[in-house]
Amino acid sequence: MTKLALAIDTERCTGCQTCSIGCKTSNKIPMNMYWSRTITQGCDYEDAAEGVYPNLTKTFISMSCQHCTNAPCQRVCPVGATYRDDKGRIEIDYDKCIGCRICMAACPYNARCFNWNDPVYDPDPIYGDVDVKPRTKGVVEKCTLCREATDRGELPMCVRVCPSHARVWGDLDDPNSEISQLAREARAVHLMEEDGTEPQVFYLM
Amino acid sequence: MNFTAKGKAALGILAAIAACGVAAWIYQLTGGLSVTGMSNGVSWGLYIACFMFLVGLSAGGLIVASSASIFHVRQYKQVALPAIIVSTVCITMAAMFVCIDLGGVQRVLNLLLSPNFTSPLMWDVCVISIYLILNIIYLVFMKKYGVDSHQVSIVSRFALPTAILVHSVTAWIFGLEIAKEGWNSAIMAPLFVVSAMDSGLGLLLIVLAALKKAKMFTVGRDLMANLAGLMCTCVAIDGFMVFCEVLTEAYNGTAMGSAIIGDMLFGATAPFFWTEIVLGVLVPFCILVFAKNRKREGLVVFASACVVTGVFCKRVWLLFTSFLNFNVAGAPGVSIGNANVVYADGGMWMTIGSYLPTWTELVIVAGMFALGALAIMAMSKLLLGKPDVASASVPDGAAAQGA
Repeated sequence: MTKLALAIDTERCTGCQTCSIGCKTSNKIPMNMYWSRTITQGCDYEDAAEGVYPNLTKTFISMSCQHCTNAPCQRVCPVGATYRDDKGRIEIDYDKCIGCRICMAACPYNARCFNWNDPVYDPDPIYGDVDVKPRTKGVVEKCTLCREATDRGELPMCVRVCPSHARVWGDLDDPNSEISQLAREARAVHLMEEDGTEPQVFYLM
Repeated sequence: MNFTAKGKAALGILAAIAACGVAAWIYQLTGGLSVTGMSNGVSWGLYIACFMFLVGLSAGGLIVASSASIFHVRQYKQVALPAIIVSTVCITMAAMFVCIDLGGVQRVLNLLLSPNFTSPLMWDVCVISIYLILNIIYLVFMKKYGVDSHQVSIVSRFALPTAILVHSVTAWIFGLEIAKEGWNSAIMAPLFVVSAMDSGLGLLLIVLAALKKAKMFTVGRDLMANLAGLMCTCVAIDGFMVFCEVLTEAYNGTAMGSAIIGDMLFGATAPFFWTEIVLGVLVPFCILVFAKNRKREGLVVFASACVVTGVFCKRVWLLFTSFLNFNVAGAPGVSIGNANVVYADGGMWMTIGSYLPTWTELVIVAGMFALGALAIMAMSKLLLGKPDVASASVPDGAAAQGA
C-alpha cells in the first residue's frame, strides 16, 4: 500500500508563504481562498511573536489538509464525495459534492474551502497545472496533495517551491523513505493529536 | 367558513412575504451562497439554525399527539389533529431549509445515488423522510378512521420513537463532530429532545389559542393548563441540561473550554445565551409553575412565546459559539472564501469566526416562516372543519373504538 504524506520542518520554515502562493497558482485556487496557509502560531498578527519580552518564541505552522488516517470529514460526508484514494490521500469528487458543508464543520483544522460563488480568477485567463480541473460554484475543495502533478511523477508544488527545504513529501508505508525516517524522529508531532485523527501530515517541532 | 377582513389582510401580508422569500431564494440560486453572510470560517448560518429549530418544533407536537394514543391520555387526543398539522408543516419547512442551505442543490439526488451511511446527515435524510411519511399517514388515518381508531394507535407507536429519533439524529449532526468542542457532547441528543418538547408544546399552545380565537377549534381551559404544565416541566429539564453542559465545559478551565464559555456567557453569543436562560427558561418557568397562572390563557400564550423565542436563541448560541474559535489559532487565520463577507480589517482572512446574516438570508427565512404560517392556516381550515365537529371527535368513552 501507499500512504502519501507530508513532513513540515517548523525549524526551517520562515513563514514566507511561498508554499501558499505556489499551491494557489498550481491548483487554480480562486480568489479569496487558499488550500495552504502559513499561520504564525497563537498570534493576532502575521510574523508576530508569542510570550513576554525577552522570552519570546515564534512558530510558523503551514496549515493545509492533514490527510488524516482517521478522517472526520470522510466519515460525515453524506454522499461519499470525500474519499480516500488508493495512495492514502483524502480527495474530493467534485461531481458528487452537494455542498452541505458538514465536512467543513467536521474538519478540526479548518482546511476546507467552499466555492461560495463561481470561481473568480485574477488575473484571467486561468493559470496553473494543466491537469487540475477548475471547480464550480457550490462545491468544497482542499489540498489534494497535488494528485495530478505527483501522479505524473513530480513533487507537490509546495514542496518544489519551498526556498528553505522545510517540506518533505513521500510514502509513509515505505519504511526506508526519507519521510518515514523523519516520522520516527522524536520531534515529529501531529496537530491536535488529542482528537485522534492521526494525520498523515506531521510537523518537526 | 369565510375569513374576516382582518384575516384576509393577514393572509395577503403572509403571501406577500412568502413571495419575497421565494424571489430571494431564486436570487440566491443564481448568485450562489456568496449572497449569504457565511464564509469558510463560519460555514453554517441562519438556515441551519432554523433547520434545528424547526425539527424541534415539529417533534414536540408529534410527541404529544402520539403519546396520547400510546399512553391513552384521553384529553391529549383532543389536540392530536392540530398537533400533527403543526408537526407536518414544521418538518417540511426544516427539510426546505436544508435544501436552501445546499450549495449544489441540483446534485441533491446524489443522496440516493451514492449514499454514505456513516454520515449523520445521511441518517437525518432517512429519518426525516420516514418521519414526514409517518406524519402524513397519521393525518390520513386520523381523518379517515378517527382519533381513537386502531389504525391511529398503530401508527402512533411508530411515530413516537421516530419523533424522538428525528431530533436526536439532528443533534448528532453536531454532537458527533470532534472538531467542535462546544458540540461534541453526549448530552446533545437529550438536550435537543427536551428543547423539542418545550418549544413544540409552546408552538402548539400558540396555534391552539389562535385557532380558538379564529373559532376554528375549541379547546378547554383545563387542557391548555395541562399542556402548559407539561411544557413547564420540560422547560425545567431543559434548563437543567444546559447547566450540566455549561458546568462540564467550564469546570476544568481548558483553553478551548474557557474560550467557549467566555464567548457564550460574556462574548459574541452571550445575548442569545442569556435571552434563552432568562426569557426561555426562568420567565416561563416562574409563570407556569403556579397552577393558577396555567389557567389564564393570556399568560400561557405569553409563556409559550417566551419558550419558543428562548429555544430559537439556544439554537443560535449552540450553533455559532463553536464556530468562533479556530482550533489551530494564529494570524492570518482562515481564508474567508466568500468575497461578499467583509471582516474587521477588510481583508480576506479571519482570525476569529464572524457571521452576520445578509438581507437575502433574512428575507428567505421570513418567507419560509410566512409560508409555514400559511400552510398551517390552510391545513387547519381543510382538516379541522367546524368547531363542533372537532369537539365531537373527542368521545367520552369507548364509543369511538372503530369509529
